[in-house]
Amino acid sequence: MGQFTTRTVVAIGIGAALYGILGLWGFSIAPNTYIKPAIALLVIFGALFGPVTGLLVGLIGHTLTDAIAGFGIWWGWVISSGITGLFSGFIIYKKSFSIKEGKFTKPHFGLLIATSVTGILLGLIFAGLFDIFIMGEPADKIFIQVGGAILANLLVLFVIALPALIAIAKVNKRSTNLKVEQ
Amino acid sequence: MNTGTFYINRDTFFHRMNSAVKLIFFLVWSAIAFLFLDIRVFSVMLFVGIAVFVIAKIPLTKIKRLVLFVIGFNFLNSFIILLITPAYGNELAGSTHTLVSFSYWTITLETLFYLLTLSLKYMTLLPVTIMFIYTTHPSQFASSLNNIGVPYKIAYSVNIALRYIPEIKNEFNMIKQAQEAKGAAFKKGEASLKQIAENYTKVSLSLVSSSLKRIDTVSNAMDLRGFGRSKKRTWFFSTPLKAADYLFFIFTILLLGTAIFLKLSMMNGFWHPFLS
Amino acid sequence: MLPMISIKEFTFQYKNLAEPTLKNISLQIFPGEKVLIAGRSGSGKSTLAHCLNGLIPFSYEGTSTGTLFVHGKDPRAGIFDMSSSIGTILQDQNAQFVGLTVGEDVAFAAENKATPVPEMKKQVQEALLQVEMESFIDRSPHELSGGQKQRVSLAGILATDTPILLFDEPLANLDPLSCEKAVQLINDIHKQTKKTIVIVEHRMEDILKLGIDKLILLSEGKVLFSGSPEEALKKGLLPKAGLREPLYLEALKETSYKIDDNTKLYPLEQLDPALLHAHLLSWLSEQTSSIIEKSNKEAILQVKDVSFTYNHERQALSNIFLTVYKKEILALMGNNGAGKSTLSHVICGYLRPQNGSILLNGECINHLSIAKRGRHIGYVLQNANHMITEKILIDEVSCKLRQSGLPEDQVAEAASIALKISGLYGLRNWPIDSLSYGQKKRAAIASILVLKPDILILDEPTAGQDFSHYREFMDFIHLLRQKGMTIVLITHDIQLALEYSDRAALFHNGSILAVEETAKLFSMPDLFHQANLTKSSLYHLAESASIPADSFIKKYLQSKRKEPQNEYRYLLYQS
Ligand SMILES: Nc1ncnc2c1ncn2[C@@H]1O[C@H](COP(=O)(O)OP(=O)(O)OP(=O)(O)O)[C@@H](O)[C@H]1O
Ligand SMILES: Nc1ncnc2c1ncn2[C@@H]1O[C@H](COP(=O)(O)OP(=O)(O)OP(=O)(O)O)[C@@H](O)[C@H]1O
Ligand SMILES: [Mg+2]
Ligand SMILES: [Mg+2]
Repeated sequence: MGQFTTRTVVAIGIGAALYGILGLWGFSIAPNTYIKPAIALLVIFGALFGPVTGLLVGLIGHTLTDAIAGFGIWWGWVISSGITGLFSGFIIYKKSFSIKEGKFTKPHFGLLIATSVTGILLGLIFAGLFDIFIMGEPADKIFIQVGGAILANLLVLFVIALPALIAIAKVNKRSTNLKVEQ
Repeated sequence: MNTGTFYINRDTFFHRMNSAVKLIFFLVWSAIAFLFLDIRVFSVMLFVGIAVFVIAKIPLTKIKRLVLFVIGFNFLNSFIILLITPAYGNELAGSTHTLVSFSYWTITLETLFYLLTLSLKYMTLLPVTIMFIYTTHPSQFASSLNNIGVPYKIAYSVNIALRYIPEIKNEFNMIKQAQEAKGAAFKKGEASLKQIAENYTKVSLSLVSSSLKRIDTVSNAMDLRGFGRSKKRTWFFSTPLKAADYLFFIFTILLLGTAIFLKLSMMNGFWHPFLS
Repeated sequence: MLPMISIKEFTFQYKNLAEPTLKNISLQIFPGEKVLIAGRSGSGKSTLAHCLNGLIPFSYEGTSTGTLFVHGKDPRAGIFDMSSSIGTILQDQNAQFVGLTVGEDVAFAAENKATPVPEMKKQVQEALLQVEMESFIDRSPHELSGGQKQRVSLAGILATDTPILLFDEPLANLDPLSCEKAVQLINDIHKQTKKTIVIVEHRMEDILKLGIDKLILLSEGKVLFSGSPEEALKKGLLPKAGLREPLYLEALKETSYKIDDNTKLYPLEQLDPALLHAHLLSWLSEQTSSIIEKSNKEAILQVKDVSFTYNHERQALSNIFLTVYKKEILALMGNNGAGKSTLSHVICGYLRPQNGSILLNGECINHLSIAKRGRHIGYVLQNANHMITEKILIDEVSCKLRQSGLPEDQVAEAASIALKISGLYGLRNWPIDSLSYGQKKRAAIASILVLKPDILILDEPTAGQDFSHYREFMDFIHLLRQKGMTIVLITHDIQLALEYSDRAALFHNGSILAVEETAKLFSMPDLFHQANLTKSSLYHLAESASIPADSFIKKYLQSKRKEPQNEYRYLLYQS
């Protein structure tokens, strides 16, 4: 709690608002399973602001999505978003890594893939277990749903989140030592 | 007042209730629904839930939309379960009463009863969630989180999220429309699907990058006005606890106690009327 | 007396820049002074302000040397200490507004100090009463106009009780009357509390009415001048710092009024009425009256009986009739929240009107999509950030052309012409994030220009721009018109409308009060006042010289309307 700066507070708030709104939007790939592009936000906010921000953006943002859509709050999936954000944020403990200063090398890239894939897997497995043990859904069906969701989220990770982070890092790198050209 | 969110201004028992107590009630209610897979419990809860809707004066049009959604969802969900694991009810109940059967695929009374129970479980979650969302003033929500022990900085994050949701919605539309005016396609048929997806991605990323900048300016504005300088914080919108709030809180705790007692003593697992 | 703010040989350099932004600054500000910091866009005004309130180095990284004391403390030691000494109003009013409602926002600082609730409520009541906003306590930010938000911010720092108030461009985006009221409010607060007031502002004409004690002119990070505004005006230093002189002074100079060491130029009332009278009369007699030629006007855009209501509750436009003629520059003016931006959104199809129709070249376009209207009507939004989706400037300007299938060499040529015209060619490979507010606005315009619309709607094109860019830019707009483009300018800037527009429409709370030749409108002060516009200092000049104001203003403007000079002219004739 000690290093919970104002910036972190605001990042969580605005990140959650963004995730809450963009989370409403998805393509159905199988019944009750969506490709949800907003998942990319969890990875982006995690990598920019760290695990605590990632976790809370996921928890608060997902709760807001469910609340705005107006069909009740699905706690298992809320926590799953939190877990994904949490794990994506662990990369910031690597000292040499900084999106803000454009420091995003190949080893960082590998590490980020490892943490965020772990986050996605653990999050969705949690959601599946929650549905089976708390909600009482049949395991076989949940197995298929979670499998679909994992594929969808990995797709979002590789097609949207990682390219977006690369682009942000690149622009930030270009923003140093700027000079007017002729 | 209009905050661009979900709150509906009325004067009812639930609107007047302290938000922290209401939040605890909401969480306890969800926990109780999670504990059971028992149609008797859900029937009672659903009945109470309808009463909650009526007392909170949630507009009928809103309820209609939700009920339609939930019924749609439950049908779809049940259909999938029936398709993938048609024998799940039999496993749970330990008996088989076949209704119809096409070679390997059979529909049993047990599974149908299980599906009914599961659908009711989802339904019972709904009324209190909706009541909470529609009767809690966004300004009071953050302070109530702080009241029940959430650190104030996290509670304030929620406040910021609520503050910026309408703004971000607006901004998304603005950016999208400006792109449309410049000739970017967003509807099926105007361009290839790939192009449309690309355009949406661009708008979203532009929204994200302007939000990232907003994080800087907003946190500057907050720092300048001394946010986070002390260990504690007071809230302009804090509702002091009234006698009715204490009573309702006690009622909620009793409810939770009863539920746990029932769960431990007699209502463990899937309840069904079939003999094995 | 000990200075409230004292800066000695202070230099600051941002972490990601190659050179320092503030260079060897030394100055002193005493308790109770009203100080104005002015200079070109990018001269380091905001940077200096952030050094005072502690945002530098707390939020913006960089290195500094020299000494700096504000209320006896070095801001570099910590920002929390500073929040009890200096209250800041940032330029971005939306960022400033952190609460969900007006009441919460005003209470924000008190909440952070853990003030007991009853006491806090009392403070908030009092502060809101002082800015006349007590009935708005439960409103949320998006239900307020720009001017109202400004008042809320003021109440927010009044509730705190800091000895220094710092304002970064408090007047940008305010309509002239709100502007005058804001200046009045700051003045009242100063009288009541004797606080030290530091203001950063471009709008000299308006801010000088505050009765500034000390003017600090910055130029490229150095102090160009520090002293009384009168001295700066007399020495003609404002143009040197890239600023516009007050209109009346410009007029005195244009009409070659004799200024010697003993002439008192500021405030306006100091001028000798008798001398003025004689001078202006003789000038008037020298002017030949030229008749403005009336070309046969052909309507290009018609708005017929349009009404629009937001969320079924807030009527923003009621029964608007408006005709725009080919090749004219039409100014839309009126109070904050009058519905000018809303009307543009309706014209471009962003919003669907509840009734009425929009006609383009005589044909109803109500059913047309945003994209189809976009081929004829280019609209540059009030907030340029909403127009930008690419990362790099040159991509932003060329991307839509490329998508439309134009060959690459033509794309490149069109893009570089648009960039040269908007004075951004040298920055073409910069990330857009690194551009200043004014530069971004020009980037947004360039990206519309490449699409060659028939009608160009510009929403507040000059807000936040410094004078030299403003000139260059408006001259360019003038040329576009000569090339056949029709231009609709939304602006709060009376000077701008006077100098560049043919006709002006006055809006007031959702209806149009009048549409007239711009100069003619200026002879209707009643209407003017109703639309929250104020009389410019030209009017006051004429009044104190006791000559008829409207004929003087008309003649003066005519004499000023010359052929604009612009180095990018030739480019227009190539494309
Ligand atoms: N956060 C930052 N990082 C790096 N450079 C910056 C930053 N903020 C400003 N600068 C640079 O410092 C210079 C001065 O900027 P500053 O914002 O102080 O100008 P200003 O006088 O306030 O201009 P304006 O009137 O447009 O607000 C500019 O060249 C700008 O590019
Ligand atoms: N998205 C919105 N939702 C609800 N009300 C709105 C919205 N946008 C604007 N309004 C309201 O509509 C009215 C007209 O607003 P508009 O932005 O058109 O004013 P304007 O003339 O452009 O003002 P300004 O000079 O401050 O830009 C205002 O009262 C405003 O509060
Ligand atoms: Mg500035
Ligand atoms: Mg506007």
